[in-house]
Amino acid sequence: MKQILSFTLNGSPVDVVVTPTETLLDVLREKLGVTGPKRGCDDGDCGACTVLLDGEPVRSCLTIALTVNGRDVLTVEGLGVNGDLHPLQKAFHEHGAFQCGFCTPGMLMSAKALLDHNPNPSRTEIREYMSGNLCRCGSYEEVIEAIQAVAAGEYKE
Amino acid sequence: MTEYVGKAMPRYDGIGQVKGQTKFVDDFILPGMLYAKAVRSPVHKGVIHGVDFTAAARVPGVIGFVTADDIPGARLFGACGDQPVLADQYTAYKGEDIALVVAADEDACAEALEKVKLDIEEQEPVFDMFEAMKPGAPLVRPNLKSNLWEYGPDMTTRVMYLGDVEKGFAEADYIVEGRYQTGEQDHAAMEPMVSVAYFDEADRLVIHTHSQCLYFQLGQLAGIFNLPMSRIRYKGGVVGGGFGGKNHIHADHLAGLAAIKFKRPVKYRMSRREDLLYSTKRGVFILEYKTGVKKDGRLTANHIKLWHDAGAYGGFSPYGVEKCSMFASGPYHIPNTRVDGQCVLTNKAGSSSMRGFTIMNGQFPMEMQMAKIATELGMDQWELRFINAWRDGDMGVSRYVVRGAGALEAMTEAAKLAGIELPDRLLAMSSRGR
Amino acid sequence: MREVSYFAPTDVGEAVKLLAEHGDKAAVLAGGTDLVPQLNYYEIKPAALLYVGGLGLDYVKEEGGKLVIGAGTTVAHLLANDLIAKKFGVLAAAAHTHASPAVRTAATIGGNLGTASPAGDMIPSLMVMDAEVILASVRGERAVPIKDFFTGPGETVRAADELIVEIQVPLLPGKAVFEKIGRRKAQTCSIVSAAVRLEMDGGVCQDARIVLGSMAPTPIRCPKAEAMLKGKAINAALIAECAAQAVAESTPISDQRATAWYRHKAGTALVGRALAKAAGV
Repeated sequence: MKQILSFTLNGSPVDVVVTPTETLLDVLREKLGVTGPKRGCDDGDCGACTVLLDGEPVRSCLTIALTVNGRDVLTVEGLGVNGDLHPLQKAFHEHGAFQCGFCTPGMLMSAKALLDHNPNPSRTEIREYMSGNLCRCGSYEEVIEAIQAVAAGEYKE
Repeated sequence: MTEYVGKAMPRYDGIGQVKGQTKFVDDFILPGMLYAKAVRSPVHKGVIHGVDFTAAARVPGVIGFVTADDIPGARLFGACGDQPVLADQYTAYKGEDIALVVAADEDACAEALEKVKLDIEEQEPVFDMFEAMKPGAPLVRPNLKSNLWEYGPDMTTRVMYLGDVEKGFAEADYIVEGRYQTGEQDHAAMEPMVSVAYFDEADRLVIHTHSQCLYFQLGQLAGIFNLPMSRIRYKGGVVGGGFGGKNHIHADHLAGLAAIKFKRPVKYRMSRREDLLYSTKRGVFILEYKTGVKKDGRLTANHIKLWHDAGAYGGFSPYGVEKCSMFASGPYHIPNTRVDGQCVLTNKAGSSSMRGFTIMNGQFPMEMQMAKIATELGMDQWELRFINAWRDGDMGVSRYVVRGAGALEAMTEAAKLAGIELPDRLLAMSSRGR
Repeated sequence: MREVSYFAPTDVGEAVKLLAEHGDKAAVLAGGTDLVPQLNYYEIKPAALLYVGGLGLDYVKEEGGKLVIGAGTTVAHLLANDLIAKKFGVLAAAAHTHASPAVRTAATIGGNLGTASPAGDMIPSLMVMDAEVILASVRGERAVPIKDFFTGPGETVRAADELIVEIQVPLLPGKAVFEKIGRRKAQTCSIVSAAVRLEMDGGVCQDARIVLGSMAPTPIRCPKAEAMLKGKAINAALIAECAAQAVAESTPISDQRATAWYRHKAGTALVGRALAKAAGV
């Protein structure tokens, strides 16, 4: 049963036809060409699909698209402003907080949510908040450093 | 040039990663693209009598199917050239690719897969290496002499040696034996296996790949597709984690075959669960050590027998046995060393490379054996290693003459960092000679 | 393609009518964190999805000596809630160990009950408080004591036309503690979990609840172990005896996460640790 899903994506309104079993990840990637969020496991474990829904981190692979009606979705594509990189993006780049980069969009969204809630997190708080984003290349330490650098004000927006 | 040396430089291609704009293979979504999913063997071993697609063909959205009969060229692939691209006569592991369903989306593929009827005569599989090696054991697949890989005619043990181990054992004061095993692991790269294939405006077959080694694989693909390499545009370089798991062809051959048959762009991808279950793994190694040692700690002989579980097909495993054999005696001076390596087939998905491919599988057991030797000798663990570590000019079974040996220096530094005081007589030793 | 209907009712009355109509052909969708993987992997094929996120069931209230928690309350909201922090801290402690922040945004306490995994993170804390699960249907509402709610792994007494709407938690006295061990320190399914609540008077235990998770087909109470403590002064020796008794009342299995041997050892340690913390010993 196809329905129209209307929501705000990275600041712009969007209407798209979806079926009830399609997830937000399916819709973003396959229908809207937003391929920043990645499909790593399709069962909520890896974190590569993490986006912000009304400002909170969610697994887009576990979010039934129709439940997003009328709500606000932010993906990595929406992080920068007017073509400029978000401080987290600058920090990740300069600190080498990725190797293959597959986990990076999800990491950035979780990191943004963390700093939105807690602008000065301790190292433990960073590790706990980022615990749902897996990286098999082993860039965890650089991710922590990049977040700490942004929290310390080293990257201004 | 001197502006950059010694500085941490951000990667020139890193902007794409942090913007989420770098295109991984799954990010290629083309107009009219079809999706392929594999019909997999539900049994560990069996004879395939037939596949009936009639009911599956009626599922809305299904375009068609790909079987071995659709392969224009070589029907076998893999590093040893012994693995069916699509199994059509027999199946040798649960999950083996038998055919492809090609449809407008993966939901239709899933529905069609349920309706494919497989006529497979189940046979008795063998999973354990030592069961597989027993005379009279069920053969993992037809037309094998035995489940042991043949390195040469009737040669199923790959022997590497230095000196004479029997002479070495005669010189020893003690002989220590040990048996060790390293387990099976999956790379679990964040990016599961996937491939996208289509014909471009010049009728060349484009394949977007996450291969770690395009040149290892391009020749195999050209053979399967019966296309000259000049007609294949094999586009890679963006790998969402490989770690050795993307040295074997998992998806490119299947996406390519579907694109060739249906003349439309095709994406073939493995779900995370399929990837965990059926893609290549770091396979099990079992090593038995018999080591001769003198009272003063000098090792005189080391005879190692090792077995590697290759799964159902050779892949890189026969080479893996050789590689492990070269490292299984560790970085130690043992003038009489012999390694007997065997590569064993079993009814499981294939083993392949992973992180330090087979090197760790030899070095780790050797360290366990050294620990055991030191304990039995009543000798300090550091001392045993300091005495026997390679110096410049030493040689192992690979017969590479060691230059720039550094184990002593590394151990000294490690001990310092750990706050362990090593005795002067060890600290006085040097890698430059004895 | 298979046709799937989608319903997003705005009140419980509408929702239970739909459930009465569709029964077990409809899948109840709240946070989706357990349901959607099953859809993604084609393990279930419901004819309809019944989204209950719009029913206004995300609340925490204090009423008549009880904490009343809407079934749709997300784990993230439990963690952020002042009432839970002040009056039901053990649930917050359990919620903190649940999955990951992004999953907690969506996962609901009702969903954790409905999935009825023996490893359910929210369940042991509710069980030590003698909570009641409120089920609604076209036939009205009924309250089921949580210790009677689970009948097997993934199975509850909920009928196909019933919806979990609320959990009522009597604010029983005493100190409650939750312990969990998994294969990792975060984002891990429990190998063993344990919750205890001890009502102490001086050093003497007046009443006890001991619950084990992942040690049986459902989360279980350990009544013999509980009885051992009643009226006794709590000391290290009694704690050790009691922990051994609790584990003796369980039936741990070997699975991909751990062996029964390990669960036996870990269960004993976790119960002991929880009792010591609850008793202040």
